[in-house]
Amino acid sequence: MSEPIERETRREGTHLLVRAGEYACALPLGAVRRVVRAVMVHPLPGAAGELEGLAEFGGEPLPVLNLGRLVNAPPGANPAYPVTVVVWVGPAGAREMVGLSADAALEVVHVPADSVVAGDGGLLLGEAPVGDEVVRVLNLEALGREA
Amino acid sequence: MSVPHARGFLLLRRAGGCWGIASAAVDGLVARGAGYRISVGEAALAADEILGVVEDLRVRPAAPVLRRFWPEVTAGLAVHGRLPVVVVDPRHPPAALRFDEGERRDEGRD
Repeated sequence: MSEPIERETRREGTHLLVRAGEYACALPLGAVRRVVRAVMVHPLPGAAGELEGLAEFGGEPLPVLNLGRLVNAPPGANPAYPVTVVVWVGPAGAREMVGLSADAALEVVHVPADSVVAGDGGLLLGEAPVGDEVVRVLNLEALGREA
Repeated sequence: MSVPHARGFLLLRRAGGCWGIASAAVDGLVARGAGYRISVGEAALAADEILGVVEDLRVRPAAPVLRRFWPEVTAGLAVHGRLPVVVVDPRHPPAALRFDEGERRDEGRD
């Protein structure tokens, strides 16, 4: 009887691990639409540093955010294969598509909810150990909220 | 050139981006130096390159995440071909499009 609940919990805990500078970040897999080679971005003059600009994805305009800047990650080595992770952000009823530029897509991991500690109540849900590294677990719903 | 009551959108390049202005809002367009000066109401806007006029542009409202990280007011976003386009609100043209003093000085040399 408890099997479907366990399966649901496991699905919710499944994340895509990506590298952003010195940090590894875990993005909820259910919010990830696609991972593509870094898309061409057109800058928006006057934008905050987190916003790299606009791209085109699937015929739609796509705001692209720099994941490293969003999580204040110290810069890492020059990425060999930078990616854009296309994700849904915002609450379920008003979600929007956003690109996150990252240094690399690493792997799909399971992050149990009870292993996540010390979030900021916003984008950073908290930190959790994955393998021998502490990763930043992100809450993408928070990213779509007005500041 | 004056394009009153024209349909569609004037597409231009400026500051590395592609911008669209409803043709009906454009009062005039003249070449100035290496670029263009566009009259929109009382505002003078600048373009590095004119890409053309398109009749149909599917304009979507700018999403909250964009407004959060970019303070400019827009009429929305669109895509032309594979180019993302910021559609300008003629009442609030973005700072990057304003015809600046340097360009006004260059105007005198024409």
